[in-house]
Amino acid sequence: MRWWVAVELIERIVKEGGRRVDELEAYQFSGYSVSARLKRHEIHYASGTHLQGLSLRVIHKGCIGTSATMNPERWEACLDAAIASATLATPQEWKGLPVPAAFDPTPVNYDPGVTPDAETVKTLLGDLVDGTRAYPVEITSGSAEISRYSGTLANTGGVHYGDMESMVSVGIETITGQSTGYEFDASWRMDIDPRKVGERAAYLAYSSLDGKDVASGSYDIVLSPIALSQLLGGVYLPALSGKNVHAGRSRLANLQGQQVMDRLLSLRDDPFHPRGLSSCRWDGEGTPTRIVNFVEQGILREFAYDLKTAYRYGKQSTGSAVRGGHGGSPGIGTHTLTLDGQRGNLMEGRVIHVNDMVGAHTANPLTGDFSVELSNAYLMQDGNVEFPIRKAMLSGNVFDVLMKTGGLSAGERVVGSMVLPEIRLKDLAIIGN
Amino acid sequence: MEEIRYFDVRHVTGTVTHVDIDNARVESAGTSYVDRAILRVLGSRGWGILAVDSYSRPKGRDFEVLLEQAGSLASLTNQKVLLAKVPGGCIPVPGMKEDPADVDLEEKQDLLSGIEKSARIDGIKSTRASYIERNEEVRFENLYGDEYSYSICRSGFSIVAVAERGGDMQMGYVRNHAIQDFNLRHHQDDGNTAAMRAVALLDARPPRGGTMHAILDPELAGVFAHEAVGHASEADLVQEGGSVLADTMGQQIASESVTIVDDPSLPEFGFEPLDAEGSHVGRTEIIKKGKVNAFLHNRETLAAVGFGHAGNARAMAGEPPQVRMSNTYIENGDSSFDEIVSECRSGILLKGSRGGQVDPGRGIFQFNAEYGYAIEHGERGAMVRDVSLSGEILRTLHSISLCARDRKMHQGYCGKGGQSVPVSDGAPHVLLIDAVVGGSGTD
Repeated sequence: MRWWVAVELIERIVKEGGRRVDELEAYQFSGYSVSARLKRHEIHYASGTHLQGLSLRVIHKGCIGTSATMNPERWEACLDAAIASATLATPQEWKGLPVPAAFDPTPVNYDPGVTPDAETVKTLLGDLVDGTRAYPVEITSGSAEISRYSGTLANTGGVHYGDMESMVSVGIETITGQSTGYEFDASWRMDIDPRKVGERAAYLAYSSLDGKDVASGSYDIVLSPIALSQLLGGVYLPALSGKNVHAGRSRLANLQGQQVMDRLLSLRDDPFHPRGLSSCRWDGEGTPTRIVNFVEQGILREFAYDLKTAYRYGKQSTGSAVRGGHGGSPGIGTHTLTLDGQRGNLMEGRVIHVNDMVGAHTANPLTGDFSVELSNAYLMQDGNVEFPIRKAMLSGNVFDVLMKTGGLSAGERVVGSMVLPEIRLKDLAIIGN
Repeated sequence: MEEIRYFDVRHVTGTVTHVDIDNARVESAGTSYVDRAILRVLGSRGWGILAVDSYSRPKGRDFEVLLEQAGSLASLTNQKVLLAKVPGGCIPVPGMKEDPADVDLEEKQDLLSGIEKSARIDGIKSTRASYIERNEEVRFENLYGDEYSYSICRSGFSIVAVAERGGDMQMGYVRNHAIQDFNLRHHQDDGNTAAMRAVALLDARPPRGGTMHAILDPELAGVFAHEAVGHASEADLVQEGGSVLADTMGQQIASESVTIVDDPSLPEFGFEPLDAEGSHVGRTEIIKKGKVNAFLHNRETLAAVGFGHAGNARAMAGEPPQVRMSNTYIENGDSSFDEIVSECRSGILLKGSRGGQVDPGRGIFQFNAEYGYAIEHGERGAMVRDVSLSGEILRTLHSISLCARDRKMHQGYCGKGGQSVPVSDGAPHVLLIDAVVGGSGTD
């Protein structure tokens, strides 16, 4: 669908919605991506994806209804479904969808130089493969993708915002013997280094070969940004959602103003972070975004709210509505989560460095208890690898282990919708073999 | 122009209906629409794939243009793909006792409310119940002129109850999904079951991790079969060199009491009437009496790797087919549950599942139980929580010493390569000798 046709359509939908219900919000998107996948060192398939869709939300007498379709031309059925949906919902306090605000119209995570182009994807894969040649390993699989999407958010209050996103991403898996390595990178600009990604994946597999067993006991652990993101995403972020806080599903619910992390640490959502893949000036329902200071120097300051939860519990939206995929309805989330604090050398003395974990998603999201298998982990002394660890389990509690840390690394990296450093955690239980 | 050796199109249309009740409040309820197709072209070397939202089958030259677009993508590939010739065709979708599509949304909402209400007992701080129903119409065509279509409805609910006492919180849950019935009826007590477990877990303690004998209940043993064996037997991983089972065909990797099967034709939640490439589906004995017997295949991996039959290509709407499990289970043994507990003597009984993960190349798996009990002197002891189990595929299967004769199947979803597909896992109770159990307890 051409853009002016899309503009006409969304205006028509908003107009018709305004005639039938108190308020209507429409989000229409379209995009194209090109990707290719390696099987071993050869390109196995290349694909092109044309995505489009329409997501509607209506509010009538405090009842909220939603529907979505992949065929915007079927908007009338979608609108009927959204209105029918509202008739079933429990009514709640509602003070209106956002009204228009002035924004810098420049997209924050869009680079016109990122073009979904098959030859560029092929070049990215070639560079990934070249990078792995730094170590004697085999490639099992790999992928590269370039995408570009545009979306329009409009509502009956007069909001009509357009936005564009671009993304380039690569990932590769390697193996030698029974030692595996996986590395990836993503950016909204064409600034990733696929050779470096390939080399790192090869290093992880090669350096983890001939692992030894580690004795069970208590160790200081340095988590990579990847491993840290898994524990934060699975346990900590749900506990910061205003909805979970008020619904009785957050361990942090009654701790505002109290210490919940090491005093060295500050956790925030920074929707303006220049490297963030989900950075934005307005959130999924059109509220202007702002930095949300969840934890400042260890003290719990605020929770995340979207409009629905904020109105229900007498709070203000923190601009934290995100859409679950392009077709999803808005719900509470984060845009670019960052962890800041005292930076320094994390590798003094004896530590176990953990690159990745197997089973992090099985952590208890309420209590924070976790027990996971380590992946690409090394026993280290003063920054030198003593030996790779063949197999070991790491147990602890996410909330507790963040109370007493040994600082953060100077460097940080993008992991999904987070930009994180490494972190040193003290005295965690390791179950060796 | 790229040579076109083969093409197929898989087009999925349908509706997704959901109800979400949170602490007695209907958060949302309604219907959305799905319409997504995937067109695959096999060029002179590898695949060119187009995914299209809101697809309508073009005619004549317009369809040729689509094929050429996919062919153009295929020209980028350099891996020579061959496809095995396999039987195609659709088996009947099992009939429904009651079709969820015939029940109006208000009644679904009322029934779900009843389940949620039964979870609100003393000690429970929060309840949440969800219902989801996917009605899909799948149409398939390929170069040979084969055309298949079928309709299937998958529906199910979950209820989660959170108990709270003095700042300590625990959750209990019940999930149930079905393809042959409207399963919101006759489950009103499931909310109470979830709530009672959440309250009981407030008095449970995490176990001290270490090596011990472990009894897995049918749900967790099913997850064990799925994570420890199922993924490593997927032949795309074998072909890529990313599975520890790659060179084990015919080898004894488990005790003779262990037979592990995957069967998409079984009328369970992972049922497929034909696979996503149009291939006929059937039973695969991955492990037969302890020996590696077959891998799970699509047409391509069957041609490249061998050992088995095609029929395990599965895909989400608009996504490329991957080799996937369907209904995976450990066959019944001949022991009773009491015999297994008695044989265990001292160890741990693990029940329910919070999911798991495997690194099939490294041969390491991990999964987490919902709760468990200490086994002391051959009898069930105190309740434990937050307990996981990890192991090495090629070592742990040897440690299954007994299988009971009480297999049950449980439903869920499995993720791989960014796609999530419905599956069921099952097993009887099994006894693992010297399992590595993780827990943060100190006594």
